[in-house]
Amino acid sequence: MDEKMKVLVVDDEEGMREGIRRVLQKRGFDVDTASDGSAAIELLDKSRYDLAFIDLKMPGIDGFEVTQYVNDNFPASTVVVIVSALATVEAAVEVTRHGAFDFLVKPFTPKDLGAVADRAVEQRKLILDREKYLSQLNSEQNLSRQLINSLQEGLVVLNIRHKPVLMNPKAEYFLGKIFNEELTVQDLFKEPKIREAVETFLPSPPGQEAPAKVFQLKQEDRMLQIRVAPYVRDSEVGGAIVVISDFTEEWKNEQDKNRFVSMVAHELKSPLAAIINYINVIQTGMFDANAPKVHEILERCKIRGEALLELIRDLLYINKREAGKIEKSIEKLNLKEVIFSQLEFYKVQADVRKIALTMKSAQEGPCFVKADRADLDRVFMNLISNGIKYNRDNGALIVDIGREDGFIKVSVKDSGIGIGPGEIKNLFQEFYRVRNSTTSGISGTGLGLATVKRVLGEYNGRISVQSEPDKGSTFTVYLPAVDG
Amino acid sequence: MSKILIVDDDRDLVEGQKIYFEGKGYEVKTALSMKDGIETLKGYKPDIILADLMMEHYDSGFVFCKKVRDNPSMRDVPIIMQTSAPKEIGYTFDPSNPKGKEWMKVDEVVVKPVPLDHLLGKVEQFLARGKK
Repeated sequence: MDEKMKVLVVDDEEGMREGIRRVLQKRGFDVDTASDGSAAIELLDKSRYDLAFIDLKMPGIDGFEVTQYVNDNFPASTVVVIVSALATVEAAVEVTRHGAFDFLVKPFTPKDLGAVADRAVEQRKLILDREKYLSQLNSEQNLSRQLINSLQEGLVVLNIRHKPVLMNPKAEYFLGKIFNEELTVQDLFKEPKIREAVETFLPSPPGQEAPAKVFQLKQEDRMLQIRVAPYVRDSEVGGAIVVISDFTEEWKNEQDKNRFVSMVAHELKSPLAAIINYINVIQTGMFDANAPKVHEILERCKIRGEALLELIRDLLYINKREAGKIEKSIEKLNLKEVIFSQLEFYKVQADVRKIALTMKSAQEGPCFVKADRADLDRVFMNLISNGIKYNRDNGALIVDIGREDGFIKVSVKDSGIGIGPGEIKNLFQEFYRVRNSTTSGISGTGLGLATVKRVLGEYNGRISVQSEPDKGSTFTVYLPAVDG
Repeated sequence: MSKILIVDDDRDLVEGQKIYFEGKGYEVKTALSMKDGIETLKGYKPDIILADLMMEHYDSGFVFCKKVRDNPSMRDVPIIMQTSAPKEIGYTFDPSNPKGKEWMKVDEVVVKPVPLDHLLGKVEQFLARGKK
């Protein structure tokens, strides 16, 4: 015995009571005794007994009543053995029909008592094992239920009569229905193809279950993925399992990716279409090979080819950056210096169209930020080159560098064509280019500002734009300032 | 001399086709946006229109065609739409199928780059049909 079994001995005869106690204590039991029925009940209320040896015939509350009390209050926990005189053996047998496990007829030898006690212990052990098993099962069921309820996926199990037997809270949420065994497939799934899928599994001959079917279902601004699979029990289809998951994120990413790829395809095709078109013109032989028109056309082909190359370079750069393959060396840099050298670089281009480049700052001394030099160059190269490209001849481009709330603030102000209010929101999207007759002659990949925004984001910076059509635009960049 | 209006935001594409069709004896007017195209059509009636799909906006070509068709005097002018826009951009129909053409109110959809002799063939075909 792992733990001492507790026994209650109830007998009004002291000799018998003590006799039984001695025998049982020797056999390793922990024994309590009671001299009558009411004392026994008192003890039974106080502690739990594995076994009870109860004399049938006692004054007051007799053994029959004590047994009944045990059965009413501690069923399946205390194993009762009735102790009875030969004269009352029939009554003892009767008691075993009403809840006592066994009986012992007086007089008995210690061996007889031991044998009955052993059987009673076996019985008690069986009960204990079953209790343990049941509580384990219960906690396992609880655990599975908890797991099912905390799934991020909606789970519906339908039986072969097409009725739900299980729906977790997420399924109730996705389907907008509260679980009820009387719900029909029609109530649960509005989409006919899902209903059909559920019904094809129900019932089907063994071994011929249809494979799982997957659907995507748009629900308001969500995209749900619904997976319907047969539920197989004892190698027969026992119903259908429907798993509903929120697919919105993946779906949106896929949409974005598709959109990006088709935009790339479009942007790559356009210059090629123009080039092929021009080549076609030359091939018609309508011009002499040395005609000025032919030179003009070839020059345009070259320009478009170069722009295409630039686009491909930008795309590869973005791809490399996205894949985290760009090595960066973060250092403390003076933005004034970075911008000044970019302005120097663009001076020639600006001079051609007589655009005045100016850099000013109310801030004394350097304006430090921490970043990779090539990243900063890319940001300001894009902004300055846009400020020139979209400017008017004899215009101006003013770069103002200052500080604001822990940020270095750089505004790039041009006197160009400006941007319409409807277009500003799309400005930082890949391949978005303001397309109108004024901009149709201006080349660009449509990736510049999208890249600027992305790069600034990586440094906890940001960019904003104010613009007035025909007056000009101001792009303002904020980057976290670093103390010098 | 037959008159062609070419509307496309790619000025090189427009230029190449203008040179070509002028060389073939057509009178060519060009517009670089939907807005320009509509403006040009005020007081000018071409015999055929070649229009791009994605211009100022991704659907400018549709809007343009609809506006052309809304004008009773332009209802019968053939329109050939030239596009390099793949359907993944967001068009839920296939421009090459007959329903798509009807929806867009265009007579023909061709995918860029269109060989110029092929484009010329199409133009001549539509103009001949109009003369009957």
